[in-house]
Amino acid sequence: MSQYTEDELKAKIHGGYILESPEEMTPGYRKAIIVQLTVQADTELMSAPAYWLAARHAPSTNTQVSAHAIIQDELAHANIAYRLLEDMGVSKEQLVYGREPHEFKHPYGFDQPLDNWAELVVANGFFDRAGICLLGDVHRNTSYGPLKRALVKVDMEETFHLRHGEVWMRRLARAGGAATELLQRCVDWMFPMTIEWFGLPDDLKRHSGQLNYKLKGLTNDELRQLWMSSTVPLCEGLGLKVPAHYDEEREEYVLEYPFPCEYDPEAKRWLFEDGEITWQAVFERWKGRGPMNERYVESVRRSRGAVGSWLN
Amino acid sequence: MTPPLGESVYEVFARKNRGEPLRHIGYVDAPGVELARVYAWKTYDEENWFEMCVVPRGAVIPVNRPEGPWARNLPEAEEER
Repeated sequence: MSQYTEDELKAKIHGGYILESPEEMTPGYRKAIIVQLTVQADTELMSAPAYWLAARHAPSTNTQVSAHAIIQDELAHANIAYRLLEDMGVSKEQLVYGREPHEFKHPYGFDQPLDNWAELVVANGFFDRAGICLLGDVHRNTSYGPLKRALVKVDMEETFHLRHGEVWMRRLARAGGAATELLQRCVDWMFPMTIEWFGLPDDLKRHSGQLNYKLKGLTNDELRQLWMSSTVPLCEGLGLKVPAHYDEEREEYVLEYPFPCEYDPEAKRWLFEDGEITWQAVFERWKGRGPMNERYVESVRRSRGAVGSWLN
Repeated sequence: MTPPLGESVYEVFARKNRGEPLRHIGYVDAPGVELARVYAWKTYDEENWFEMCVVPRGAVIPVNRPEGPWARNLPEAEEER
């Protein structure tokens, strides 16, 4: 049990104090970091089946190798995050095998099918970039030593995924014709999907345990801006249309569509024409999970029961 | 719940190049030494390590710090059990 009160620990952390073991955590800190790590682990884990099903569309043996190398990285990242949770007394067994598919905490983007090679590489370019923005910030700022060290590997590898995404987006954009049209259709649904991923805007967020305990450094809106500051120029440079631009006067990126808005997962289309919806409605949609949720979860654990029973 | 696979924790240490310190880079769950070696090598493949080794968590004995993941290996903790 921590020798400090919540306020004392927060003050120490803001003075640069790094926690090295779960025994040093206050109940509030422990709760906040468990939420953060569960989201992180579940996101890495669910990206694996999403990318794995899409890797079937890889156009060559070389691209098969790179796509599967990315999947291998994601599974290792998930494993490392669950391992950190286990050291806090949270059961990895329960988290991975004991929950219903809808109880996983990954973003709604990883409940969607990736149906072709273009969608996989844009996922690398957009979703993995979001991962770098979020986890790079955690790496720089986290007050939990074991997590800071674990993220060295994660950051390094996510950068490779991003490069894979960018290189292939460039190739498809240069090809023109059907390839570029397909790429544009990916951007049309995946750009707003990633924007939404960063969550509630700062003016609606009442408090943040993660910021108070320095489990991260940037707010949701700052992270969203960071993601756009590299993604928008990338897309513009490739001649792809994105529903956002840099506003010189406001000195920030602004969205050109109602945010948040409703999504039609079957048509893979955002319903800009229906206007803005409430965040409550977004949370309801997230809670309802997307079309691939059950299949993705089951695909990472379907054989566990059989093999486990042979061994025990 | 599905049955566990009888895994325990192995600490992973690695050295990037000759002349550099052996660093604690992470840990893996494995059911034995052989698979711990495989899992460590495949999990922590972000560098072309000069040297890597695994140590069962139970074999790391803290010297000066009575808390953290290795605290249960202290002789006092052993006596309490």
